[in-house]
Amino acid sequence: MNDSQVKISTTQAVVIIVNYMLGAGILTLPRTTSKAVGTPDVWISIILSGLIITGVGIILVTLCRRFPEKTVFQFTREITGRWIAYILGCANILYFMVIAAFEIRVMADVTGMYLLERTPTWAIVMVFMWIGIYLISGGLPVIVRVFEVILPITLVIFVMEILLSNQLFEIGNLRPVLGEGIMPVVKGLKPSLLSYTGYEVMLVITAYMQNPKKSNKAMTWGLGISTSIYLITVVMVVGSLSLDGIKTRTWPTLDLVRSFEIQGLIFERFESLLLVIWILQIFSTFAITHYCASVGIRDLFKAKKMRTIMYCLLPFIYLAAMIPKNVYETFALGDMLGNVSVVLFAILPLVLLLLSIIRKKGGKHA
Amino acid sequence: MTSLRLWLRMICALLILSLISGCWSSREIEDLSLYVGLGIDVGQETKFEKKISAQGGGYPKEEIVTATVQIAPGKSSGQQSDEGGSPSSGKSSYSNEQLTGDSLLQIFRQFSLRRDRPLIGHHLKVIVISKDIAKKYGLKQLLDFVLRDNDIRPNCLVLISHHRALDVLTSKDPSRIPAFYLTGITNNSYISNKILEPVSLAKLDAEMQSGSSFLLQNVLNADGEDKFSGGSIFKAKTTKFIGELSQTDLEALSWIMPEEKAGGVIKTYSKEGFTVLYEIKKKTIKIIPKVSHGDISFHVKAESEGWLMEDWRAPEKEEKGAYLKELEQDFAKIVDQQIDQMLYKLQHTYKADVAGFRDSLRIHYPKTWKKVKDNWDEVFATVPITYEIKTNVVNPGSSTE
Repeated sequence: MNDSQVKISTTQAVVIIVNYMLGAGILTLPRTTSKAVGTPDVWISIILSGLIITGVGIILVTLCRRFPEKTVFQFTREITGRWIAYILGCANILYFMVIAAFEIRVMADVTGMYLLERTPTWAIVMVFMWIGIYLISGGLPVIVRVFEVILPITLVIFVMEILLSNQLFEIGNLRPVLGEGIMPVVKGLKPSLLSYTGYEVMLVITAYMQNPKKSNKAMTWGLGISTSIYLITVVMVVGSLSLDGIKTRTWPTLDLVRSFEIQGLIFERFESLLLVIWILQIFSTFAITHYCASVGIRDLFKAKKMRTIMYCLLPFIYLAAMIPKNVYETFALGDMLGNVSVVLFAILPLVLLLLSIIRKKGGKHA
Repeated sequence: MTSLRLWLRMICALLILSLISGCWSSREIEDLSLYVGLGIDVGQETKFEKKISAQGGGYPKEEIVTATVQIAPGKSSGQQSDEGGSPSSGKSSYSNEQLTGDSLLQIFRQFSLRRDRPLIGHHLKVIVISKDIAKKYGLKQLLDFVLRDNDIRPNCLVLISHHRALDVLTSKDPSRIPAFYLTGITNNSYISNKILEPVSLAKLDAEMQSGSSFLLQNVLNADGEDKFSGGSIFKAKTTKFIGELSQTDLEALSWIMPEEKAGGVIKTYSKEGFTVLYEIKKKTIKIIPKVSHGDISFHVKAESEGWLMEDWRAPEKEEKGAYLKELEQDFAKIVDQQIDQMLYKLQHTYKADVAGFRDSLRIHYPKTWKKVKDNWDEVFATVPITYEIKTNVVNPGSSTE
């Protein structure tokens, strides 16, 4: 299979971005952001950071478009020279691997808590990873096709569930708007920015797009969809459970769905459905990050055998997933990943873009 | 050759299919004890426990709480012993089991020494806490386990029993499961304003975290029958029981809490001394906070539309004009009196804002709220509250005279 021949459409790029972004974050997002904000203005933070990330994302794809048909691992070399490129490339690869590990770990923790209390973690994780490798060994077209199936299911079920919770919704919980001025909103920007990791996939995907000119559009749409999902979640969770009510809940979004029962609607309880689609999302995030890490190794070290690389990465991801000793360390790892991603994918692309313009590397605006 | 490979593949697929359809850690529902109700009482050992301890079968504990778990379905045979609560003989749809100890989880785990089926909390519907233990320990402490547990869902309801929670969870009729009809009664809050809006664990946790005083529904019990009556007031910081509101107070409360649903009746006597009843159909309530020079005050505007549903006036006369106006004023006056009494209790006797004035202040004057937030209950006790109640009769029901 030769990946360089594969081309994906703009819509498919959107699907990949959204599937990557929706992951472990959404279950804890209402808690982390509202803790930082401290007033019911959480939703404003979410919108603002969505806008900021769109700006960052556009810088990122502008950079990518200067080097058509090349992934970040290939074109960094042209901008910075070999050695720095190796360091940056390795950092990227490591980041993708750790994200994959983190997603797996959160998935294992939550299923262990709410679904399969007595199943050993390794059993859950192994099955997950094996299916993941089965998927990504088919290459990008297979991944995209699966993602196109997963995304609509997710969106429909998710929106339906969140809307079912409207019986708990009280508008008073979201008032007053900007009662303490703009400062709380600014404080909330950091944790909500962290939840937007995922757009970085375009560093790799742009190279495979049929029409790289439209990568701007793909980025905007992808971020737009993710932002609105985040927004709906935060508004419904804060509006239903109130700001004080989610402070102490470990998984507030899940608790929202656990807080109501609907009689006479086939299902009375909806948390298992939510967990199912959420596991699908984690799976897609895991698959794409694993794939990106493999692509990184292939392109950086000019290796040939993609499949071998994938299998070799497997044990490392597993080990990384098992490093956090408890749930607190897992959350800490998540925060760290967010911080790293700001450096790697918000600041660095800007620097690279400026460098490439100054050193006149790469093509004109494609 | 190809057919052999095909066969191999098919066998493989079959094997895998038969394996993955099985569940790794499944437990048969028949082998579990689903508890649907949980009662928390002041520690008091049952006869069984006393006998066991006499044989040296105890473990070090201080006997702080007695937990009653209501398991449904109950046992089919009638070997139920002297353990209070469970119907003594015959088929019963539930069984109550009691154990005493220091921590809820420890008590639950202790059950596994006595019963072959482990307890499982996925279907817990209602938690009944007795007033006496709520005086000693805050709800934050009593419910800590319940809020942390991953089986119990946050939509479980919380009620306060006037006497022992065990009695509330016991019914005379063995085919009725008390936990279920208790949840059933809470759903009646739309036709009676004497029932508080159901408070689930999720809501309760939010109230406890927000540091406000709050109100929980009271349940009384007599001769194996339960009745909802009044509410218990819990103090903000300690989350301990400090007092009660009567049924009438709850009625009054429904006139100043915007989120309470309409429902309920007002009774008055006409000039001639006949009973007249007004049923509330629609209510619009507005709480208007005012802050001037740091002085907080509230004004409540409540207007209701309702039907004249009962009039015992003996020689029937036409109900209109002045007579209706008079009645409307009478109804409003009665509500006025009720609110007066209730506010006196809240502001002077208990000094606890359970009526949600805090929310309107928080929303409309966030800056003032920030200043008074930490000792709001003390501030609330001195805040002047005015109100105007209007009741309109819009409909005489299906019989006009």
